[in-house]
Amino acid sequence: MRFTPTELTEAELALQSEVRKFLADELPPGSHEPGLGMQASHDKAFSKKMAERGWVGMALPKEWGGSDKKAVDRFIVVEEMLRWGAPVGYHWVADRQTGNIINKFGTDEQRERFLPQICRGELGFSIGMSEPDSGSDLASVSTRAERDDGGWIVNGTKIWTSNAHENDWFICLLRTTPLEDGGNKREGLSQLLIDLKNTDGLELSPIPFLNGEHHFNEVSFTDVFVPDENVVGQPGMGWNQNTTEMAYERGGPDRWLSPFSTVEQLLRETQGSELGPRTVSLFGELVARWWALRNLSLSVSRLIDAGEAPSIESSLVKEMGTRFEIEIIEKLVELVDHELTPSSESLFQRLLAQCVLTGPGNTIRGGTIEILRSVASKGLQGLPT
Amino acid sequence: MSVDQLLTDTASRLFAELCTHSAIQEAEANGQAPEIWQAFAETGFAWISLPEAAGGSGGTLLDALEVLRLVGYYAAPIPAAETGMLGGWLLASAGLSLPDGIVTVAPGSQNDTIAIAADGSVSGAAHMVPWGRQAERLVIVNSGQVASIPIEAASVTNNVSLAGEPRDTLTFDNVAAEVADAPEGADADALRFRGALSRVALMAGAMEKMSQLTVSYTNEREQFGRPVARFQAVQQHLVWASQDAALTRMAADAAGREADRGDARFEIASAKLVANQAATRATKACHQAHGAMGMTQEYELHHSSRRLWSWRSEYGGVNEWATWVGETAIAGGADGLYPLITGGSNALS
Repeated sequence: MRFTPTELTEAELALQSEVRKFLADELPPGSHEPGLGMQASHDKAFSKKMAERGWVGMALPKEWGGSDKKAVDRFIVVEEMLRWGAPVGYHWVADRQTGNIINKFGTDEQRERFLPQICRGELGFSIGMSEPDSGSDLASVSTRAERDDGGWIVNGTKIWTSNAHENDWFICLLRTTPLEDGGNKREGLSQLLIDLKNTDGLELSPIPFLNGEHHFNEVSFTDVFVPDENVVGQPGMGWNQNTTEMAYERGGPDRWLSPFSTVEQLLRETQGSELGPRTVSLFGELVARWWALRNLSLSVSRLIDAGEAPSIESSLVKEMGTRFEIEIIEKLVELVDHELTPSSESLFQRLLAQCVLTGPGNTIRGGTIEILRSVASKGLQGLPT
Repeated sequence: MSVDQLLTDTASRLFAELCTHSAIQEAEANGQAPEIWQAFAETGFAWISLPEAAGGSGGTLLDALEVLRLVGYYAAPIPAAETGMLGGWLLASAGLSLPDGIVTVAPGSQNDTIAIAADGSVSGAAHMVPWGRQAERLVIVNSGQVASIPIEAASVTNNVSLAGEPRDTLTFDNVAAEVADAPEGADADALRFRGALSRVALMAGAMEKMSQLTVSYTNEREQFGRPVARFQAVQQHLVWASQDAALTRMAADAAGREADRGDARFEIASAKLVANQAATRATKACHQAHGAMGMTQEYELHHSSRRLWSWRSEYGGVNEWATWVGETAIAGGADGLYPLITGGSNALS
């Protein structure tokens, strides 16, 4: 394990300036309610504007509508969007991982069907991993697909599916070969693409968040037919593909920037007033740690561009980054002397209220920190993960 | 700019051979390690980054920081930072001569009274001076002047850091010193930042060593019929310590890179703050994972952990640097907050 320090090139700094100017023009402070990092709201028009600039699916090949850019370029765009609290929710999953998976493992026909639309910011994806009886032990998924003429018949249930009610497609990990007694759970799994809006036998039910908001869904399949052309990669190789997908998912700015807009807003609202020593040193601690953590996270993107698969490094960054997010929220709460309300007149306090209510999810989503530690510690000890 | 692998390899070999557990233990008992120092000085490492014209060994600040990282990694009980990038740097900057022996600096304790008089003589006390008893010259920077003071003229009160390394009180009474005007950029404030950077490099090395030591110990130590590293509760300590080691190394590398170019106040302040907090967490995790063995003198963990406890306080603890970074960030306003995180000292006007 080695994090090699890196810095942005002139061209990358120019991209950073361009993104900052775009945001200052499109969403000047005070003109929008910032989101908490990747819990950003869905805004198809905004996704389209970003796509017009080549900032959605930017690492995908030009041939399929992308910009042939690098992971570091995407890092730059994403970090600016997230720290600004921009509404990137609609294209988020497709841009971060699904596009890469289809490009890497899919057929040309699938690339043609999905990638240009993803790059135009017109396709929202949900992720189908967890099930009622499969969470951290992901390989135990029991949603099954049975062979049928020209495709598969799917039965089972996926759960905690974020924004399935707003998105268009679903990339779903399920079992295509029954597990025999004593068999390897990681074999016989496949990734299928399923249309969320036009599929007979697919049913969505909301699972309200603890504060009543609708993000999560349960997606159930009853004899759902999925044609062969919607299988991504080799049937049976789903576990390996899914592991690759998670390397894209981990270690990026989305794992340490969620409370940034809240902290920035605190500074905006206290500008000009005398801040106590506790607040001053809290700003110092947060800024210093963000600086160091960003350097680590950026170095992971450089490794990806160098063709490496930094799964240990990205697990370490994600585990550390999401714990830092929680620490930030706890410290901000300690600064506020009265009860928080989601309807406060102060934007800072509204955002902080949202941070408190959604914060516990930060260290759970995309692999709990306990699972990440297990992956990382095996890596530290040189054991297979 | 990068560091030649040959430098890393040579310094690593030297320290690996000399800084054995018993040699470090002996240095603590004797308050000095003359053999280790001599071997270190003979290679020229002691004056690395100081211009050859001034009597130094040449090389960049990055070279000096790499050597310090290895000093930290091997817990080498020598005043490497003081003689080279701190005291030596002040002497060379002010055009004063570099002595053959050890140079040390007054890190600037609140109760220091040491001052340069109009006639160039020095009086007063400097506290917590690293290896004061063993050094040949003490260098101070005070009111626009740099003074190189012969320590043989001092009265020395021995004292030690939490790591058992010499941190002595030197008291002078009208001692004649070599004095020169301090050039721009070589003042007490600059020494503070440079001292902090030296500690970050040392801490990065020590934390990496401590983290590796903990992984290997917990893989060897068996309880309930298996290595304790197989237990998730223990794995948590391994992961947290390795994260803090990586975070500190990254902070040290990034701050060093900027310091080698110019203004790096933001990066150094942030790096020291991050390193201080990381040291607190990582020493806790590594000690817990070691159990009682880590609490003994016969096992080597304390060479790293006690040095980290010492270095995290030297040249500014959490409070000092959190205040500095916090005030800097607040002065830049809300719109400047993220540009500061990404642009660092370059973003400071």
